[in-house]
Amino acid sequence: MLAGAMVLTGCGAGASPSSSPSASAVSQADIDKAMQTPTTLTFWSWTPKMQDEVDLFEKKYPAIKVNLQNVGQGAPHYAKIRTALKAGQGAPDVVQMEYQETSSFALTDSLLDLAPYGAGDLKGDYVPWVWNQVDQGGKVYGIPQDSGPMGNLYRTDLFAKSGITNAPATWDEYAKDAQAVKSSTGAYMSNLAPNDPGQLMGLFWQAGLKPFGYDGNKTVTVNVASPQAKNVAAYWQKLIQGGLVSVDPDFTDQWYQGLANGKYAGWLTAAWGPVFLQGTAASTAGKWNAAQLPQQNAGEQKAGNWGGSADAVLKTTKNPIAAYELAKFINNDATSTNQLATKQFLFPTDTTVLKDPSFVDQKSDFYGGQQVNKLFAGISNNVDTTFQWLPYMDYAYSSFNDTVGKAIADKSDISASLDAWQKELKDYGTQQGFTVQ
Amino acid sequence: MSAIPATRTRAERRTTPGVRIGRRRKGREERRSSLLTLLLWVCGLYFAFPLVWLVVASTKDNADLFTSFGLWFGKRFSLFDNLATVFSTQNGIYLHWALNTVLYAGVSAVGASLLATMAGYAFAKYDFPGGRALFSVTLGAIMIPLTALAIPTYLLFSSAGLTNTPSAIILPSLVSPFGVFLMRVYAADAIPDSLIEAARMDGAGEWRIFWQVGLRLLGPGVVTVFLFALVATWSNYFLPLIMLNSSGLYPLTVGLAQQQAASAAGGGAQALFSTVITGSVVSVVPLILCFLYLQRYWQTGLATGSTKG
Repeated sequence: MLAGAMVLTGCGAGASPSSSPSASAVSQADIDKAMQTPTTLTFWSWTPKMQDEVDLFEKKYPAIKVNLQNVGQGAPHYAKIRTALKAGQGAPDVVQMEYQETSSFALTDSLLDLAPYGAGDLKGDYVPWVWNQVDQGGKVYGIPQDSGPMGNLYRTDLFAKSGITNAPATWDEYAKDAQAVKSSTGAYMSNLAPNDPGQLMGLFWQAGLKPFGYDGNKTVTVNVASPQAKNVAAYWQKLIQGGLVSVDPDFTDQWYQGLANGKYAGWLTAAWGPVFLQGTAASTAGKWNAAQLPQQNAGEQKAGNWGGSADAVLKTTKNPIAAYELAKFINNDATSTNQLATKQFLFPTDTTVLKDPSFVDQKSDFYGGQQVNKLFAGISNNVDTTFQWLPYMDYAYSSFNDTVGKAIADKSDISASLDAWQKELKDYGTQQGFTVQ
Repeated sequence: MSAIPATRTRAERRTTPGVRIGRRRKGREERRSSLLTLLLWVCGLYFAFPLVWLVVASTKDNADLFTSFGLWFGKRFSLFDNLATVFSTQNGIYLHWALNTVLYAGVSAVGASLLATMAGYAFAKYDFPGGRALFSVTLGAIMIPLTALAIPTYLLFSSAGLTNTPSAIILPSLVSPFGVFLMRVYAADAIPDSLIEAARMDGAGEWRIFWQVGLRLLGPGVVTVFLFALVATWSNYFLPLIMLNSSGLYPLTVGLAQQQAASAAGGGAQALFSTVITGSVVSVVPLILCFLYLQRYWQTGLATGSTKG
């Protein structure tokens, strides 16, 4: 926390994004030469067993040695990158980076625009909404690695006990079913985590909201307290105050227990959720099922996203071509992407893998033999393509926890807390020298 | 973690003149106070509670961890499976982390106790210009939490090109202001000035007096500082977190936290909960053994001190 706070102040208003790309288009001859020159790259990633994909890369390019390091996940990871950039040495060449962080690193001019290296040609290989997460007006700041289109995981046994046969199709139905689940089984319909902005932002995303916007230069849009956002907030507030949805912080002991012991009858989560749940709630195998999120109107197919990351190249790298080729290989080579999806269970961003039978036809016993991957591959196509982030998401999320998160945890007025959050985000943006709309 | 407050009370007792623990117990037995006993039991339970939870939890697999009562055993007894996983996950990197921890903590503790002893002895027994001022600075340094110094230390080490090396952990841990303070107080009481005078009369140099006379009388104090430094470095999390990037250099604290984070990584998560918990149990065992072993030195040190002093 401390590291994050200290370096954040260090990279504030003064830095403006440079407009000129650092290199003109790179020729195949340059690439061949770079890939045959003995080089050592450093790659920071928290993905378990990423070494397997790095091995594939090193096999293909024996001259390049990759030093894979895991310096932590989430906030500590970014704090370390910023500290290393500030210290002027020790920064890696390639970094794993969540989509919402990209623009804040692009803002400090820390990321290499990959378009001149050929990244623009890869656009067609990825799901459109995912590509938009890394492409800022033609500048490509990372190669998408994984994503988290959201769905609804629910306990079929608890639903059956409550007389529910199908997953709720609409949010109205969801609220009605929640009542039935509560009165028949005593379980909560699901849990809305007060400490995890990603979940609520995913639900905003599904509702078609545009809470954030950034023009890539000096103008940001903050719109977290729009009437539509307040509608979503009011919906959850009602469920929470009615005792139908719990508000435990997620990824905590209490929450893991809740998933395993039937305290929650469901979890609105991302495509990485299904495999995660198998590991944490192993004793509930066979009792779960997956469905798309409930919709505003029956028959709709709208989805949001929660999580996912790209591999970006830091501008400080001395070997931009090789670094780009590594980021590309990991997320574009057929063997590597298939392995990431089927062995490490990252939810793919690459359209080839999303159609690959070895991925989509997998049946999961944990979900009663359901083809969960196929379901989420379908959902991935329904994610709104124009969702954007602020160039200061670190601040936005910590401020979320103090305002909206607190209101959720206290079961108080979430709509009012959205106003407070809106104000903090606007004030901060202005302080940092942005034009806030 | 609970070890630190425990040592502190011991050390405080140790440095308070006139209190001799464990020696005169017999004579006081009739005067036992039931209120005090109860209070001590409550304190004892408070400190033992997390440890008991940890040990019990280390016998559970992931499923039992989240479904059974925390302070009692689960359906299956998986301690040995867990132990096997601890030493085999990520190609047995746990052992590597353990050796790193031993190296960092061992070297730092030996170095820190040596430096603190020398400094404390000098402050207590020599009058030199600026001595008081320097000691005040040392006292002031006790008040600054190490965590606050981590970022400046990082920038310093970064410009020296020492980040991501073992010395980035060991060098900052060699300095122990509290150890200096402790040794100064201890040396002032434990080494009579007349003894030093006598040694000087006999023709011993200052260096020899320190090594052959002073150090022997300072034994229990040195052990105290050693244990402090050992625990502090062993359980240090923040410094290695910011200094090190390579998994191969991590100590247990950072390594285990990394495995814990991998359990909640979302995409590609591995449920390593039972592994992390069992790993934590294993990581405190050497510290506990070290305490039990060095306790003897503490007591014999006390005894020799009392007869000679």
